[in-house]
Parts: sequence; structure tokens; C-alpha cells
Amino acid sequence: MLRWMCSGLAAVALLFAVPAIAQEKTGNKPGFSLRPGTVHIILMRPTIKVGAQSTGGMFEPNADWTAQARQNIAQALNEAQTSMGNQVTTYEEGESGEGPVASQYAHLFGALADSVIEYQFFRGNRLPTKVRKGTFDWSIGSGVTNLKSLAGADYALFINTYDAYGSTGRKALQIVGLLGGIPVTSGVHWGHAGLIDLKTGELVWLNADRQMGGDVRTPEGAQKRVRELLEGFPGRPTQPAVQASK
Amino acid sequence: MKALLVRAILAAVAAVAFSPASAQNNTTALPPYVPAYEPRTVDERGQWMEADEDERTLRDSPLVIRDEALNAYVKRVLCSTVGQDRCQGVRIYIVEVPALNASMRPNGAMVVWTGLLLRVRSEAELGAVLGHEFAHFELRHTLNAFKRARSTTDVLAWLSVLGGISNTDTSMNRLLLIGSFYRFSRDQEKEADLLSLKYLAASSYPTIAASQIWQHMMEEADATAAGRKQKSHHRYSAGFFDDHPTDLNRAVYLAEAASKAKGGNDPATAGYQAGIAKFLPLFLADQIKLNDFGGTEYLLGQLASAAGWTGDLLFARAEMYRMRGNPRDLVSAAQFYSDAIKAGYTAPEARRGLGLSLMRSGQVTEAKSALTEYLRLRPDASDAKAIAALLAY
Repeated sequence: MLRWMCSGLAAVALLFAVPAIAQEKTGNKPGFSLRPGTVHIILMRPTIKVGAQSTGGMFEPNADWTAQARQNIAQALNEAQTSMGNQVTTYEEGESGEGPVASQYAHLFGALADSVIEYQFFRGNRLPTKVRKGTFDWSIGSGVTNLKSLAGADYALFINTYDAYGSTGRKALQIVGLLGGIPVTSGVHWGHAGLIDLKTGELVWLNADRQMGGDVRTPEGAQKRVRELLEGFPGRPTQPAVQASK
Repeated sequence: MKALLVRAILAAVAAVAFSPASAQNNTTALPPYVPAYEPRTVDERGQWMEADEDERTLRDSPLVIRDEALNAYVKRVLCSTVGQDRCQGVRIYIVEVPALNASMRPNGAMVVWTGLLLRVRSEAELGAVLGHEFAHFELRHTLNAFKRARSTTDVLAWLSVLGGISNTDTSMNRLLLIGSFYRFSRDQEKEADLLSLKYLAASSYPTIAASQIWQHMMEEADATAAGRKQKSHHRYSAGFFDDHPTDLNRAVYLAEAASKAKGGNDPATAGYQAGIAKFLPLFLADQIKLNDFGGTEYLLGQLASAAGWTGDLLFARAEMYRMRGNPRDLVSAAQFYSDAIKAGYTAPEARRGLGLSLMRSGQVTEAKSALTEYLRLRPDASDAKAIAALLAY
């Protein structure tokens, strides 16, 4: 019961925090490349959370927005699958009974992505083991290779999004703060997309952004969000849009 | 201008800090336990959505005990306490955690820790705790606490910004607000305690059981502290950041309320012992791993005073003494293992413990015979190779 209070207090404490600048957004395992049309990628069920940000900075979960986002993002991903350069199919639990484990892996991926952002992408905070140039050594563990429902696929694509839209009160606080020279941020929009090698459990590509665009509550916004999530996706044909228009 | 700002701040603080726990309790007309209840407001739907997600994770957790008989038994105690009309929609998840706790999600999912099942002594005591959790659900306490936390942090945020602009010191006001949130939480706990007592009063269980739990908790805390050479304190008033009333406070106001509404006569102590009998060895095995010698001795003594020193209790006690491992403990442990075997404890692990205790006490011949017996009864034990090496030595 107290977690909101704690997160709220933390949010108030962070009220004046200066947003991190010049942070990296994309990582690639050195030497990793994908040629179009060579591998089979499974798209895992995205974890999606949408709500509002209260005046004090607390997350207010919103069931309608989350349902809309779930539908819109699924639709946008469906459309994007065709232009990703490789065979991409949506995860099916089938008869394996591994749905719960698969969803645990989705959350584990989220924790991993957070760690990469915190300890590798953010230069000032980089761990001693991650400072060497060209190092990108992250993994969700080799246990994922044992999942029967993932057999036959080469990579798994995980996607997480978290959106807290600034409430009217938060925006008012931001404006008043602005007048008084006190910086207040409004709205939180995080997204991660990452590719896991299913033969080793290693993270081979990650795109993570804590200031994502696109309003996931609308179909157009969700398309923009998915475009941003899949920016720099490996193995994509270099200029699909130009080729298609010819 | 500054005076106006300060006045606005104080008015906002007062509005939030002094609004009582029960005033926010009329969000919707229907209670949430009616069949196929659908949450109404944006906030309630948001809370239920998160609770549904959590419940899916919980349902698949490897820590959940899925034994049908045990689950049906705990559900039956809940139904006997709060009534058939209320309990039907509740989903109970028994989670293997060796501490006294239970919790309720806003959507009607109830979590019961195994440490609670080990500690309560009758169906009436279990019912008092389950009824308390159900009261949180019926009174929409999670939702109300969420709203309260939100309004509190809203005012805190405005205080920070306006205080910063007007150069006013708002630290005392902020402290008052934070304190008021914890007081709100304690008020909700008391409200749930008293509603649970009302359920008990209408059931076949005696209401005094609700107070007894907290008396036992204080006794156990004393025993734990004594075992750790610490002093034990029982305060009546809660601390600034306490989200529950103190054990002493609960024991007192629940006993007072119980004297006014006595409820039924039968706490169903024997029924309770039978209900959890199959899982007692597991609960005990988890408990002794807590490294709480004083508290566990107290618990074992209480269980033995109700049912006598059974093989299960003796084995658990022996394991605990062997784990502490002073030379004198090993002598006691060997005795308790032997007693357990005499009392009809059949699992081969008693021979293993007996053999290892004797071995470390220097009684090699007897030790070897006990360990040989262990390997004969459990040839595929995970430590068979290590034990065989000990025997060959």
C-alpha cells in the first residue's frame, strides 16, 4: 500500500532534478549483424502500461488507455513486421504451457534494459566492467534456450512501453514552476525494444529511450511509437520505403 | 502576495491532513464482492487492472501452494467468518513465506503467507485475520489509500514549488502531511480490525480470538528478543512512520470490542490442527531456517502444548538444535531425533540428523549405524555420496 507513497515522495524529491542529457539510446553487440531474409524472429507479447502522472508525480494506472494502447501497438507491430527484413512471427504459447515463463522473461528483459540504460548508456554512471570501448555484454541467461515454445526460432524481440501522461494538475504545476524558475517535468514515456539471441540468451541489440514520442492511445501515435522503437533494427533492408515506391 | 500564498498552502494542508479515513469511502453504491462486479471510476478501474496483472503473475508463482485440500480448508474458514454471500468471489493464494502476514488486492485476490498458518492456533484466529483482509476489500481500502497518497503528494508538490517561489519555509507543513498519511493508513487498519470483529461476532467463532493473535505475537517477539540477547519493547502508541497500529494497541482495542460482542463459543482448535496437519512439516522446515532460535522454541512449545510433542515437532526441534551446533546442542539434537523416531517419525532424514549429530559429538559407532540406516532407506538421496564418504572414513 505504501509503494505509491514512496514513489510519490521520490517523485516530489526528483521534482527539481535536471533531465539527463547526451545519453546513448542504442546498443549493439560488437560484430553482430543480420542479413535480411536469413533468420526467424519471434515477437514476444509486449508489456504495456499506460496511465496519468498526478500533480505530485505518482503513476495513476488507466485501464482504458492501457487497453487502447495494447490494441494500437499490436496493430502497428503487425504492419511493421512485413518491413523488418526477416521472418517475424508473433509468440504463441501453443501446448507448451510456457506462457507464464515467457511473461517472466518479458519482465526480466525490462529489468535488463533498465540496467543497460542505467549502467551503460548513461556515461556518467557506467560500470567499470562496461567502460571498455566496443563492449556490449548483457544477457537474460541461457535458460531461455530451454523454452520449447521458442524452438526453431533464432531471435526473440521483446518490447516494453510505459507511459504516464501529465495530468492537468501536473501541467499547471509545471507552468507555475516555470514562472518561478523551478523546473518541473510533466509526463513519463519509456520504451525498450531488444533482440535476444535464443541460442545463448545474449542481448544483441537494444533500443531504449526514456523520452519517446507518439501517443500510444491513438493508432497514428502507436505507429510513430513503433517506428521509434524499431529504429536501427538490425537486418532491415536499407531503404525499404524508396524501393517500395519505385 | 506572500501572505496569500502561505494562507493557500496552509488551507490545502489542513484539507488533506485532517480528512478522516472513512469520509472517502462512498465511491460507488455496490460493494466490490457482489458477483461479477465491474469497477466503476477511472481510479478503481486502474487499480483493478494493476491487481489483475499482479494476480496473473501470482497465480503462476512457484511459491504458491496448490494443494486442493489446504486451499479448500482456508477458503472454508474465510466463508465461515465473513459469510457465504461475501466469500464466494475471493481467490486465495497460499504463498510459502515463513512470516505472519496476509494481504488483499483491490480485485478480491487474497494472499496468505504460510507463516500465518503456522502461527494461528484455531480457525477463529485464522478467521480473524482473513476477515481483516476481507474488510480491506469490502471497504475499498487500497483505492482509498491510493487516492489519499495522491492528494498528499499533490499538496506536497505544490508546497515545494510555491514555497520555493515565495521563499517560505514549508518543512513543518510537509512533515505534518507525511505524518497524516501514515495516520490515515493506521486508521484504515483499525477500521478493518473492527469490521473483522463484526464478522466474527456473527459467526460460530469467538471474537476474543482476534485479540489473542496479537498477544501471541508479542510473546513471540519477546522470545525472539530474548534468544538474541536483546530487550523487547511493546509500545502502545504507534510511531510516526508506522502504517499499522502497534500489536499492543490492537490487542487492547480488539479485546475491548470483543467484550461487547462475544460471537460463538467454538474456536475450532482441533479442526484447525487437522486442517493444516499435512503441511505442518513444511511450515516447520521453513520456520527453522529463519535462524530465530528463541522465537522458534516459543512456537514449538506452543504447538506442543496443544498437541503434545509429536514426531514432526521433535524433528523440527532437533534440526534447529543441530543447526545452532554448540556441543551441548548436538547432544540435545541427538536426543530429540531419537525421541522423534520413538514417537513414530518415519522419514529417513531423522536417521541422517541423528547420525550427523552423533558423529560430531564423537559417538562414531552409533553415528555410523544411523547413517547406514539412512542410506538403506534412501539410497538415492542427494547427499548419498557425501554420507557414504563419511561412513568409509
